[in-house]
Amino acid sequence: MTMWTSGVTKVDNQMLLTGVQQYSQTQHEPDWLQQLRQQALQAYFNLPLPKFEKINYRDWPLFDFSVPSVLESEPVTGELAKQAATQQFYAVGDSTIQLTLPMAALRQGVILSDLRSAITHHGDLVQKYLMQKALHVGDDKLTSLNTAMMTNGFFLYVPKNVQLEAPIELLQIVDNRTTQNYFSHNLLIADSGSQVNVIQRLASVGDQANTAHVLVEVMAEANSQVNFAGIDTMSAQTTAYLNRRGYLAADAKLDWEFAEMNAGNVIADFDSELKGRGSEAMVKTIAIANQKQTQALDTRVTNYGKQTVANIVQRGIILDAATLIFNGIGHIIKGAHGAKANQENRLLMLSTKARGDANPILLIDENDVEAGHAASVGRVDEQQMYYLLSRGIPKPVAERLVIRGFLAGVITELRSQRLRQELNDVIERRLTDGQND
Amino acid sequence: MSTLEIKDLKVTVTENEQERLILKGVNLTLKTGETHAIMGPNGTGKSTLSETIMGNPAYHIISGQILLDGENLVKKTVDERARAGLFLAMQYPAEIKGVTNIEFLRAAINARRATDDQIPVTDFLDRLDEKLAVLNMSDSMAERYLNEGFSGGEKKRNEILQLLMIQPKFAILDEIDSGLDIDALQVVAKGVNAMKSPDFGTLMITHYQRLLNYIVPDFVHVMMDGRIVKTGDAQLAHTLEAEGYAGLRDELGLDVPLTDDDVD
Repeated sequence: MTMWTSGVTKVDNQMLLTGVQQYSQTQHEPDWLQQLRQQALQAYFNLPLPKFEKINYRDWPLFDFSVPSVLESEPVTGELAKQAATQQFYAVGDSTIQLTLPMAALRQGVILSDLRSAITHHGDLVQKYLMQKALHVGDDKLTSLNTAMMTNGFFLYVPKNVQLEAPIELLQIVDNRTTQNYFSHNLLIADSGSQVNVIQRLASVGDQANTAHVLVEVMAEANSQVNFAGIDTMSAQTTAYLNRRGYLAADAKLDWEFAEMNAGNVIADFDSELKGRGSEAMVKTIAIANQKQTQALDTRVTNYGKQTVANIVQRGIILDAATLIFNGIGHIIKGAHGAKANQENRLLMLSTKARGDANPILLIDENDVEAGHAASVGRVDEQQMYYLLSRGIPKPVAERLVIRGFLAGVITELRSQRLRQELNDVIERRLTDGQND
Repeated sequence: MSTLEIKDLKVTVTENEQERLILKGVNLTLKTGETHAIMGPNGTGKSTLSETIMGNPAYHIISGQILLDGENLVKKTVDERARAGLFLAMQYPAEIKGVTNIEFLRAAINARRATDDQIPVTDFLDRLDEKLAVLNMSDSMAERYLNEGFSGGEKKRNEILQLLMIQPKFAILDEIDSGLDIDALQVVAKGVNAMKSPDFGTLMITHYQRLLNYIVPDFVHVMMDGRIVKTGDAQLAHTLEAEGYAGLRDELGLDVPLTDDDVD
């Protein structure tokens, strides 16, 4: 055994098999789950590292972890704590600190809990959906690893025909106050005819270096409407693998809104499977990369069903010596007659050392479909800068105005005014952070 | 009182990888309280002069000075010149999607104030309402994205709105009359005239005498081939309107090709 850092050890396969089994047993997990974890481990051992176009992340510390254990985290303080107080679900590390649901939602049978408690109390639902519809064990190395190693996450179930107006807000904080694992696995099940708005915020606390593995499986059953916003603001100390995967049954609608405002290295898979006829997925993403970080986002929508509709719109800003990659993947499977797949990926670079790639990948296996893409990587328009400067606005402020303008194409399309304001504030903070260095 | 002095200004632009001399030694003095107009045929360097004073990096000063109250602005950046008191109403204002007119104006005003003394929102909105009224502009225009989708006339009006909000010492109005119908021209002129004070000077650049009926200049300068060749009062503009630039050129005995001649 090699010690890497104070708390995290590099473990060999045999230790991992034993460690995962022991963890599962101490948690009194059902047999099916113990087996799923072991299958997932075998897949993890056997599969190669998934390929992200235009990015090499081999040297990232994604596999520096110890065997799973029960960890306790203290609540956070300061600004983050204020935000936490307003959340329906608030967790630090593996510890669930706060859980509240409006009485009306409870009466209608909505379930919001953490994954551990869902395994105990709603085992049938977890078994039906966990790695069964959106993701599957064996899909790839990283999601398999997460399934073997997961220690908590949120679980949200919205019963048939229940329509929730108020958003469910989930704040999950990676605990970097000590060196530790973070394997979070989250499930959102919108049963047929239901409607739900979810805002998931991923943040971090503390200054130790950790790796966050976060999976979110969203199951949108027939005729459901899921609006999912993911606002990620993890620190430079957090290396992250994010995977948010949607499964859409017939006529389901899934609206994703992502803000990748992390300061550390991140690879992300934001994928939607349009399985059911007439289902529709919309993905809107904004991202900022600064200093020396790399953020690489694979955003894929696959049209399986007839008359399915996929839309991807992404805007990213690159400052300093950072790298930001948008791989937009539109895949229309044979038999998806009348499918539509459109995407637009745009990057704006503010530094000569910045690196960006907006890479549209269209895979079309059917004829009577509609597919389109637009991509651009550009620099700040000099005429715009000159105009702003000529009114006395200093260059850093002018740049921020131009950046805000560039991102506005996505921001103004966001559904909630409150979210638009929050994102404008987050963007402002991100841009000022960079300038203070 | 402030003074803006242009001394023997020589300026080139890069065309086809070669430097072409556009301004060949311009001398001009403006004082606050005065209204100046520069007229002249196409391609004679009028816009080059205004862009150079503002500091547009596309124009290269090879010699000469731009002095504001004795301080040379030549080495100053565009935003520093603006904060020193210069304003250029542009012929082709940029469009910036996502930045509203309101946030743009606030940023411009606050850039002139200390960070701990930013303009209070209510003061700002009061001032904005007052200036919008002068220009017959609706509130909704202030909330729209900066010049995005504005008609030619709306853009010009918006330039004047900025002028009224920012209150510079000197404004250069580069063909503020182009593309305006009479009604719009009157509104724009009303805005500029509303600025008239002992603490404000104007330099208008125009092809046509028409603008000068609405904003009456104290001085009219005629520019040809990169130099100011004649200076007079408002009457000079009327003479030019009657006789054309060719008449003046011949009277002065200049060997200058005029664009209109070329066309003929």
